[in-house]
Amino acid sequence: MPLKERLQDRIFSLGVSIVILCLVLSFVFPSGFPSIANFSQLLLNLSIDTIVAVGMMLLLIAGMFDLSVGSVVAFAGGMAGYLMYYLHVNFMIAIAAGLGGSVLIGFLNGWLVARAGINPMIQTLAMMGVVRGLALMLSGAGIQNFPYSFIYIGQSKLLGLQAPVWYMFAILLLFSFLSRRTVFFRRFYFIGGNEKAARLSGINVEKMKIWGFVISASLAGIAGILLSSRLGAALSTSGAGLELRVITAVILGGASLSGGYGKVWGAFLGVLFMALINNLLILSRVSGYWQQVILGIILIAAVGLDQWMLKRLGK
Amino acid sequence: MLRLENISKYFPGVRALQEVSLEINSGEVHALCGENGAGKSTLMNIISGNLRPDRGNIYWKGEPVAIDSVGRAQALGIAIVYQERSLVDSLSVAENIFPVNQPRNSFGLIDTGALFRKTKQLLDELQLDNLAPQTIVGNLPGAQKGMVEIARALARNPSLLILDEPTAALTHRETAVLFRIIRQLKALGVAVIYISHRMAELKQIADVISVLKDGKYQGTFPAHAPAEQIVHMMVGRELELAQYHSHTEQQTRLEVKNLSGKGFQQVSFKIKRGEILGFAGLSGSGRSELARAVFGDTEITGGEIFVDEKKIYFRHPVDSMRVGIAYLPEDRKTEGLFMDRSVAENISSARMQHGMYRRKAVLTEADKLIRAFTIRTPSATNVVSKLSGGNQQKVVIAKWLSLDPDILIVQEPTNGVDVGAKAEIYEILRAMTARGKSILMISSELPELLLLADRIAVMYNGSIKEILHNKEATEDKIAALASGIGVSQN
Repeated sequence: MPLKERLQDRIFSLGVSIVILCLVLSFVFPSGFPSIANFSQLLLNLSIDTIVAVGMMLLLIAGMFDLSVGSVVAFAGGMAGYLMYYLHVNFMIAIAAGLGGSVLIGFLNGWLVARAGINPMIQTLAMMGVVRGLALMLSGAGIQNFPYSFIYIGQSKLLGLQAPVWYMFAILLLFSFLSRRTVFFRRFYFIGGNEKAARLSGINVEKMKIWGFVISASLAGIAGILLSSRLGAALSTSGAGLELRVITAVILGGASLSGGYGKVWGAFLGVLFMALINNLLILSRVSGYWQQVILGIILIAAVGLDQWMLKRLGK
Repeated sequence: MLRLENISKYFPGVRALQEVSLEINSGEVHALCGENGAGKSTLMNIISGNLRPDRGNIYWKGEPVAIDSVGRAQALGIAIVYQERSLVDSLSVAENIFPVNQPRNSFGLIDTGALFRKTKQLLDELQLDNLAPQTIVGNLPGAQKGMVEIARALARNPSLLILDEPTAALTHRETAVLFRIIRQLKALGVAVIYISHRMAELKQIADVISVLKDGKYQGTFPAHAPAEQIVHMMVGRELELAQYHSHTEQQTRLEVKNLSGKGFQQVSFKIKRGEILGFAGLSGSGRSELARAVFGDTEITGGEIFVDEKKIYFRHPVDSMRVGIAYLPEDRKTEGLFMDRSVAENISSARMQHGMYRRKAVLTEADKLIRAFTIRTPSATNVVSKLSGGNQQKVVIAKWLSLDPDILIVQEPTNGVDVGAKAEIYEILRAMTARGKSILMISSELPELLLLADRIAVMYNGSIKEILHNKEATEDKIAALASGIGVSQN
């Protein structure tokens, strides 16, 4: 592939940026950055975001997005926590209930968007509020003291990496495979590329939209369970602001709001890139307030650069 | 009133108008005729200030003028009712009729009382007595929207009124009102330019009829000139290599009985194996709506569809694809192609029913079809938006023919396609019928229909006026039927 095209491939340009960023960090902070402990912590911190980002990527590929995922993270943890702590339900059933609730939320989002024709932005914005309210009802000021078997899910370690990191990679590998190799997931690209043509090509667009929201909410549910297990607590504030952070990462990772573009690994690279920038700012003792400013600027720069390249090199 | 002298207008690759001269007198209803793409709309856009001519002069009441903006045209007293709706659905009738020229009070604020009063007056005149000025336009039925559009033009007290296909959305009742108003305006010395495909209507309302064809002025006739003469002027092109021959077999493949839906009513026809049934008609005649309904994209409100004598229910394109129907949409860019995706992916896009997505297999299949249909592309992985129109069209054709459909519905198969590709597409379609496949072909290019179709159904106002056999069909006959003049000479 010629360099010109390579540069337009976000996986490539983002990958290169990440490598450069890592090298710079290693040189500038030889004692702080390049250590197993730092990396393991970095990956642990971004695992929850990445799992949610995979679902968001699929939605963006199909030309939609979901603002309610942050609330679903809190809801799923709260639901499982409530059942285990107050009702002493077996942890497996509690998890199943948390995930089941998430699936239901996703289905409602999808059904109302696809069949009732509500705009995804409005639908998921409303759902974000509704579900956050439910999460508050469930976990109130926070629930603790979970059974050990539940804690184990998020706090066990394998080869020096915490369990959520392994779950994250498993989900990435699974969805990357599915989105490249199954007809079912390829349909999202066609729907995002041209919804009308997709329908006329015999793709059931409405059904696929519902599936998109169900998958996205399910992944948010999984992230919520993992988060509460890892923290050993279900907090009603979990995942606040997560939705916008994840959309930012996914756009950085090569998705387009108008749909049709994006790869599952792009979601991971986007989240990783943002985490590295954060890491850099923390290590260089920049105020946390600046992190927001800088991430905003990076997003605009990345998308702006894309548009510029499209104009200059596209033809 | 208005005199146009040698007006020319070029768009990239198209000469939209060439040296058109026209004179419009006060108190005259001047009809303008021509096929789609003849340049009528371009000419009207020049008069109303939306476009500037590349060459030529415009005289207004004897004085040379440059109509360089819509505001300038309005100041001169030119009002236009566009063919496409240009109302704001979320605002009231009154606000739509007075978008910038609202009555003001002494503080310069909008005088709501006067606004509603004036609107009411206009509505009464248009016999829309039961329509309140405060009604939100979005809630009105199409015909009333059309009348609001006309009211907006009248609110400007124009001395030249341009009506571009005003009756396309109106029912008979509103049309009668419109004609009464046009006659009133005429008596007041207002000039009216009236564009319509409906010949019967022009006979009723116009004083003179001017014809445009391929951007050139053909002549002006008195309205009582024989319709055939005018239609011939509009169409009058020489036939291309007419080597029609038939592959029609005996067995009926597709039968449609009394089908009704949005835009068409009680349509019945049969297509045999190996037959091409052409559909002619003007825009708004219901052809596309019919095709969509047969493909299962839109709902039907009545009637039945049989494939190989079995009754079929379609709720989604997927259902019709299952019984072997394929559909080439009218506009390949918005409905047929995924412009940002590769040729290979586009070709595979109708086979996304189930199973694994094998990139290799998709590429091999695409390579095969690229060769079979001589699609000119550097490779199967090339983005489809970079191909020429003709090759894009062949991608859509390859996509559908790779499914080996028994029935192919095609809309404007050679739209925006150059001559070479056109001939290739004709060959492809003909080859299909030789293998016993059936084709329902909608086309606005009459020579194309005459060359390929075994029978031609002419649609007008949502129903089939007549089905002509290839032998008896002529361009004039089709054009006349499509305009609603009932010349059936068999």
